[in-house]
Amino acid sequence: MSIATMREIEFRDAVREAMSEEMRKDMRVMLIGEEVAQYNGAYKVSRGMLDEFGPRRVIDTPISESGFAGMAIGAAMMGLRPIVEFMSWSFSLVAADPILNNAPKMLYMSGGQFGCPIVFRGNDGAGGQLGSTHSWSIEGLFSNVPGMKMVIPSNPYDAKGLMKTAIRDDDPVFFLESERLLSMRGEVPEEEYLIPFGQARIARPGTDCTIVAFGRMVNICLEVALELEKEGISSEILDMRTIRPLDAASIIRSVKRTGACVVVDQSWSFGSPGSEVAALVHRECFDDLDNYVHRVHSADVPAPYAHNLEQEYLPNARRIAEAVRSCLYRS
Amino acid sequence: MPVQLTMPRLSDTMEAGTIVRWNVKEGDVVSSGDVVADIETDKATMEMPVYDDGVISKIMVEAGKQVPVGTPIAIITVEGDEAGSAATVAAAPVAVAAMSVPSNNAPAQTAVPAQSASVSPPSVQFDAIRQRVSPLARRMADEMGISVSSIVGSGPGGRVVKQDVLKEAERLKSGGARPMALVHVASPSQSSTAVVPIGAGASEVMLSGMRQAIARRLVESKSNIPHYQVTMRFNMDPLLELRTMLNVQLEPQGIKLSVNDFIVRACALAMTAHPFFNASWAGDRIILHGDVNIGVAISLPMERGGGLVVAVLTQAQRKGLREISTETRALAEKARTRGLGPEDMTGATFTISNLGMFGVDNFTAIINPPNSAILACGAAVEQPVVRNHQLVVGHEMQATLSLDHRVIDGAMASEYLQTVKHNIENPATLLV
Repeated sequence: MSIATMREIEFRDAVREAMSEEMRKDMRVMLIGEEVAQYNGAYKVSRGMLDEFGPRRVIDTPISESGFAGMAIGAAMMGLRPIVEFMSWSFSLVAADPILNNAPKMLYMSGGQFGCPIVFRGNDGAGGQLGSTHSWSIEGLFSNVPGMKMVIPSNPYDAKGLMKTAIRDDDPVFFLESERLLSMRGEVPEEEYLIPFGQARIARPGTDCTIVAFGRMVNICLEVALELEKEGISSEILDMRTIRPLDAASIIRSVKRTGACVVVDQSWSFGSPGSEVAALVHRECFDDLDNYVHRVHSADVPAPYAHNLEQEYLPNARRIAEAVRSCLYRS
Repeated sequence: MPVQLTMPRLSDTMEAGTIVRWNVKEGDVVSSGDVVADIETDKATMEMPVYDDGVISKIMVEAGKQVPVGTPIAIITVEGDEAGSAATVAAAPVAVAAMSVPSNNAPAQTAVPAQSASVSPPSVQFDAIRQRVSPLARRMADEMGISVSSIVGSGPGGRVVKQDVLKEAERLKSGGARPMALVHVASPSQSSTAVVPIGAGASEVMLSGMRQAIARRLVESKSNIPHYQVTMRFNMDPLLELRTMLNVQLEPQGIKLSVNDFIVRACALAMTAHPFFNASWAGDRIILHGDVNIGVAISLPMERGGGLVVAVLTQAQRKGLREISTETRALAEKARTRGLGPEDMTGATFTISNLGMFGVDNFTAIINPPNSAILACGAAVEQPVVRNHQLVVGHEMQATLSLDHRVIDGAMASEYLQTVKHNIENPATLLV
């Protein structure tokens, strides 16, 4: 990739470019959701798409997640490749039956007669003082379901490459964006590229401790790593990109080198990607570990509204740094 | 349910322990956390707590006795147990109830602090006997050939972690000294032979369990015990003359007394007047053993893997030359053919190493813990000697005592050697 073709765009533009490129290529691809068309998206991700693709492929819906998610799943079963936007993943909970109980199981339950090539996307995680019910990090709850794929990008480049792969994938893909990342700028080439699922990225190479993270947390971990570097701690940050499939090999390879592992996962700790990674590492790297896998999660309480409490509730730089030091017996 | 108390393993190397003192007697009510006995190991004397509430229904090993690890030493009858006597069972519920008032005697706190500087705090805690080692640290230590038991961990609960192994490796590389607090001892694999270029025909010999044990125990001894040596010469002519005579007369009975048999007898008899030579340093006290159990170092033939064992002649102070000779021969034969069992090798209170048969004039030996002394004997050499102001030809033997200065001072050592010398040079004392 030559430098000349690079430009800086926002995360939301990267997602839109991916959707638009795929829609230009493939007539079966469509976008459906609340305010995606005339309002250009509640978070302006789909800006201009109605103009380009028209109301038959960019469809505004009523506030009825269960209805439009179910409809899109039916469309996917019949051959389309819908992209369903949830304004927030918090709102997808009312569509739990179609998206968790139908989509991921369709191929299995129909004996292979019906696939479900669909992308569900929207904002995940605490957006900032949105209260308990609107601050879900659904990765813990949803990733529990077999048959689905889950993508959690941390930057514009990955968001675009992963979204294109998601749209082309034949299984239901849960694509988790973050309200806090949509304005993040990053280099994205003009040329087409795809990022395969199940391939973690080494966001920062290091030697002392492997930090496994995904999505927005990767960026916080990168800041923490700079601080820890001053203390002589070299952190290796793995950006998992996809939770399902999980790139176990990269985690194992890294932990076998560092002998220490901290998982940063903004969902609750009980039954989460973090606990899954910890179990994996304890099983596969048992003889390589100098300490048990340390985990940083959101506190085991409903998300608080108060700003100071919310900051403390979420995995933050201080808590991540403490976990790394503790894992290395430096605290 | 009766609960059996067994001799606990209080260190890696512990094979047997001596009950120094029982703090309870049969019929006493105990509750979890109570210290029921003091146990002496080869390193220190430690308190032994119980983890059950009940009544001591039987004490099976009396104080002063040494028994192998795992030997049942007492039985606790727990409430409702039919095994105890009627009286103790009846007494139990009331008394147990009275004693089970919440106290600070939680099991975790029953571990006693180190009794002396020679014992590291973690190793005296019963719940810390199983050394904590992170998997990575264990693997690294294995790969580097470092014994983790020689490392004091810096992690939680004394866990040995990566940086501890790295520090230990660094220390070994630089040949540095071990911190004082360590009780466990370097394994033989910690030598710095890696820096020697490998020559033609070089090879490596894997360590047998015995070689490892010898290395561990002797490094431990030489590192922890303040050794010093005292040498004396003995006129061996009277003893050799007596021995020749006795052996001629005893030949029909198949008895052949060795010079060493006389030395064993001479040393054992001398203990009556010098009990500190039959003693063990126990951190806060010195234990005088009473019975003289003399360890005799026996080298094993290479076809049995070589190495060295110490066979133990128990209650040697009560045994005559014939018995000493027969038993020593039997032990040596067993050691060189079938191998000695733990019962043949434990409980020595004093050790004798004799290289006289190899023509050695004099050497020094390393104390065999928990002994306080070891006697190294050379050969009875025919040489010019001065007797009654005359230069004559006679037989003299040099013997060198290695001593634990914590237990025995130089003057005491000289006095003991004087007594041994008297016994050897006046061998009739060894007969009657």
